[in-house]
Parts: sequence; structure tokens; C-alpha cells
Amino acid sequence: MSSVFFYARKDAKKNWKMFIFVIIAIAISTANIIIINGFMDGLTNGFLEKTMDTSSGHINIYPNEQDKYIEGLGIKEKKIEGMDEVAAYSPRITAGGALHYKEKFKTVKILALDPLKENEVTILLSKIDSGETLAANDRDGTLISYRLANDLKVKVGDEVTIVFENGKTRLFKIRGILHTGLAMDANTVIINFEEAAEQLNLYNKASIILVKLHDEALSGEYKNKISRELGIQKIKEWKQEIESVLSSFKTFRDISNLIIGIGLFTGGVSVGIVLYINILHKRRQIGILKAIGMKDLQILFVYILQAVFLGTIGILIGDILGYAGTKYLEAHPFPDPTLGSLGPRFHLFLIYDTSLVTMLIVILAAAFPAIMAGRTNIIKAIWGE
Amino acid sequence: MEIIKTNNLKKSYMLGKVEVKALNGVDTSIEQGEFVAIMGPSGCGKSTFLNLTGMLDIPTSGEIYIEGNDVTNMNSNKRAEYRLKYIGFIFQFFNLFNELTVMENVMFPMMLNKRPNYKERAKELLDLVGLGDRLNHLPSEISGGQQQRVTIARSLGNDPKILLADEPTGNLDTKSSIEIIELFRKLNREQGQTIVMVTHSPEIGGMADRIIHFRDGTIGN
Ligand SMILES: Nc1ncnc2c1ncn2[C@@H]1O[C@H](COP(=O)(O)OP(=O)(O)O)[C@@H](O)[C@H]1O
Ligand SMILES: [Mg+2]
Repeated sequence: MSSVFFYARKDAKKNWKMFIFVIIAIAISTANIIIINGFMDGLTNGFLEKTMDTSSGHINIYPNEQDKYIEGLGIKEKKIEGMDEVAAYSPRITAGGALHYKEKFKTVKILALDPLKENEVTILLSKIDSGETLAANDRDGTLISYRLANDLKVKVGDEVTIVFENGKTRLFKIRGILHTGLAMDANTVIINFEEAAEQLNLYNKASIILVKLHDEALSGEYKNKISRELGIQKIKEWKQEIESVLSSFKTFRDISNLIIGIGLFTGGVSVGIVLYINILHKRRQIGILKAIGMKDLQILFVYILQAVFLGTIGILIGDILGYAGTKYLEAHPFPDPTLGSLGPRFHLFLIYDTSLVTMLIVILAAAFPAIMAGRTNIIKAIWGE
Repeated sequence: MEIIKTNNLKKSYMLGKVEVKALNGVDTSIEQGEFVAIMGPSGCGKSTFLNLTGMLDIPTSGEIYIEGNDVTNMNSNKRAEYRLKYIGFIFQFFNLFNELTVMENVMFPMMLNKRPNYKERAKELLDLVGLGDRLNHLPSEISGGQQQRVTIARSLGNDPKILLADEPTGNLDTKSSIEIIELFRKLNREQGQTIVMVTHSPEIGGMADRIIHFRDGTIGN
């Protein structure tokens, strides 16, 4: 084996000019994967964090299957409040409706909440672009999402009419413009919980209750406990809520994997081609290697080993480039209208995974030329054909 | 003792649909310690014979014995091992690894054979062929005659039982050719090295113990 290593090293060293391209291809492919995956993580995590921050508790309680609302809210709130690990909770009502301003009309999602309770669980009400947030007991005010505000050309201080799904209407004053970076930016209005309950005739009911625990790790245990004590079947942990966010990123993931796959494929092919050409140039030398007694398998190993050298150097350079690129973009993210900013996130496992996958591809790419080298016909190689 | 023996050795190549009979029934016997020259017109099968006895190629029919062992049908790994341990090859040109220095070229087959002290041995051999002062040169930095001497040094690393040389001086000027043959003579006399050498030149052939004449794939006289 040491002689195989010896020859592979010497041969690679002598041919470094040719191999520089292989190393560059591998390095670019590696850096590409690290940065793209970093971006995907940054994007996903950005959404996840925002979702967790603004739209979910550690545990979310939903109405039972056949019901539209959670019934007996008062008693349930009391029970939840009495649990040791519960830090806070916030019931919400969600309903359909429409927003009316001058001649314009837009369907909206009405989100009603109690600011005092909501602020203990999420930071939704702090996501304000302009104006002020909704104060406790402010039954005349509303927050409207920024895209809705743009569509209707309304601003802070304007008065708008909300049409509830049961046909009732009421005038609200816009206190602030909401900007979360999530889907709710499209068409959401936030109003006071009591006011919505009154308009919709929903006494003692809620659409969802967000529960915050002292320790998020207890969510599994508390999910069962709440289910038991409140007689509710549909309860989701934050992990489950995240899964639905993640699954909505599947298309993004698929596209980025495709880009990565193409990068790896072209990297692999260029490695394969350069090694193949090198081996064609070395036919006579391979013939001599065999003539002096090197075995087919040893010759195969020479070229696999060579690919591993090139792979190692290329991957190391790619790791450094990928790391530097990710770190730079993390510090200087692209501005993004919905998310605020869009940048990658660096994780060490990105380096491990990428290096491993790239090395596998390099070895795979080297396999064909290496096998070909091992099978070289001595006579033809030495007498040139 | 008989070191090489062939029995009705035949080799034919297919050139398209035409069968070319490169060897057509060769019976030879070469004794240990002999220095044999093989001569004959171009295309009469000399190289083919050497390749078969050196186990670089497989005969179409017939048998080859080395030290009495039938080596005709060994598998490719075994053949490689045999070549490494028992046979030294010298071709007409481009024998050396361009990537390796003179010293490394000589070391390499010994490393492959896991021979201890291969560095010392390589230096000894290069001294023997008169190139002790060229250890770190690349093959491209020395003359053709010197390259052939390095090849001889390399072929001796694992103390081969048989040295096979296919027109080793075919590419060299007279002076270098004589140096090579004198080296062969010396190895044969002093160390009892068995040598089978193909040559065109009657002068060079004349320096061998015995000449085997080939004609049209068979042995003539
Ligand atoms: N690989 C090959 N394919 C086809 N014909 C070959 C091959 N090698 C040798 N021959 C033919 O076999 C014959 C003997 O060749 P060779 O042994 O090289 O002769 P020599 O060395 O005596 O000049 C020649 O006619 C040559 O053309
Ligand atoms: Mg010939």
C-alpha cells in the first residue's frame, strides 16, 4: 500500500497544473453547497423563528373536530392558569370579514386578541412599521397589515369599516401598520378580543389558545396533561407547528437540492474527465507499472487515491470559501421586502455533510477512469496503440 | 538447470478477420545462468516470445515452464506477482516513470515487493551501472544510454531469476550500446544472471553465450 501511495503522490505532484482545474471545480462545488444550504437554513430558520415569535405558543389548543370554536373558555383559562409550568396563555379569535375604506373593499382575516395576554406569549404586537400598537382595552382601534394598507391606500389615523362574517359592521381607527414577514402580512386586521366576541356573538369562546411554558421541553408532557384536563383532542406542540412551516418550504428545498445536484454533477464530471484524460496520457506508464509487477487493483487504488488527494485539497479550500462566504453574507444579508433581510446561517454540520458528500462524488467520479487504468492491456499500452 | 522451457508455444492475433500467427510452435530451453540472444528479421515473433515468457501476455496454445513450474495459465494477480519477484524487463525505450527520479525509479519495484533497505540497495545498483551521481535527476535529464542503465538497475532490484531485454540497445549509439552489453556480460559472469536479449545487431548478438534464430514465428538456424 505504501508504494501505491508513493506513486499516486508523485504522479499527482508532477501533474499539478492539470489537477488545479479539478481542485477548483471541487472547491467551487463544495463552497456552493455550503452557501446554498446556509441560505436555505437561514430562510427556513428566519420563517421558523418569526412563526414561533408571532404566531405560536409552545402548545396551541384548537377546537375539537366537530366544533368551530373552543367552548367554555373561562373555565379552560382558569385550568390552564392553574398549571405549574404554564407561564402565560393567550386566546385568539380568528374570523373572516371584509375591510371597507372609501370606495374600496377587501376581504380580510380578522384576528382578535387580548393585548395584555398576547404580549406575554408572542411579540406579534411589536411588529409595527408605523403608528402605535394596539393598547389593552382599546376596542376602537385596529392594526392592519402593511400590504393591506398599501392596497387600500390607508394610513395610521384613518378610519375603516370592518364587516364581520355575520354581516355586522363597525368603524375602527387604524392605530398602526403591522409587518411580520409572514403570510399574515397579506390581509390581516387585528382587533380587540372582547370587541370581536361581542360583534360575532361569541361568548366564552375562542378559535385558538396559545400557551407558553416555562420550559419548552415540557411541551410533550403538557400537551397530554392539557388534553386530559381540558377534554380537548386537538393540541399541537410547537414542533408540530414548525413541521407545517417546514413542509411549506419543500419546494424551495427541492429547487436548492436541484441546484446543488447540478453543481455536484458538473464537479464530478469534470473530475472524471480530467482523471480520464490523465490516464489516457499515462497509458504507457501504466503498462510499465504492470510489467514490473503492479496488480490491477493496486493501479486502481493509485488513481482512486489521487482523486482522494485532489478531493481533500479541493474540499478544504471549498470549506474555507464556503465558511467565509456564509459568514460574510450572514453579516451582510440581502435586504428582503418580506423577511426584512435574507442571509445564510452557518452551521458546522454543513461543513461535515458537504465534505462527506463531495468526497463521495469525487471517488465515484474517479471510479470509472481508475477501473479503466487497472484493466489496461499491458501489450497494447507498452507498444502504443 | 532449465530455467525457461516452452512447449509448442503459439500465439496468434486477430487483425480484423485475418489471423496473424506471431508464434507458430516454439520449443525452447534456456539454462539458468545463460546469456541468450534472440535474433531474426523484423516481425518474426521475437517480441511476442519475450512477452509470453515474461508473462506480459498469454499464449494461444502451448506451455511455458519457469524453473519447472507451469506458469501458462496463472491468473492476472499471480502473473503480476511473478513478474515482480522473478522477472526483470528492459524495453527498447520509455521504460522509466517520468514522475520519479532516477533513485525513485530504482526503488519502486522493491517498495512494491516490500523489500527492506530498498534505498541502500537502489544506491548500490545505481553505482553498479555507473550512475551513482545521478540519483536525483529525472529521466528527462539524462541521456538515452543512461536511461537504459537506470532501467537495468531497476530490473535488478528484486534479484530476478530472469532478465528479459527487448532490443535494449535499439535506440542507442554504438558507444552506449557497448556499455549496455558489457554491463549484461558483467552481470552474467559475476552474478550468474540469466539474460534473454532480443537484438538486431550481429555484433551484439555475438557477445551472448548462444543465439536463437527466429524465422516466421518458429525457431530456425
Ligand atoms: N498486438 C498485435 N496485434 C496484431 N498483430 C501483432 C500484435 N503484436 C504483434 N503482431 C504481429 O505479430 C508478428 C510478430 O510480431 P513481433 O513479435 O513484434 O515481431 P518482432 O519483435 O520479431 O519484430 C508481426 O507480424 C506483428 O505484426
Ligand atoms: Mg520486436
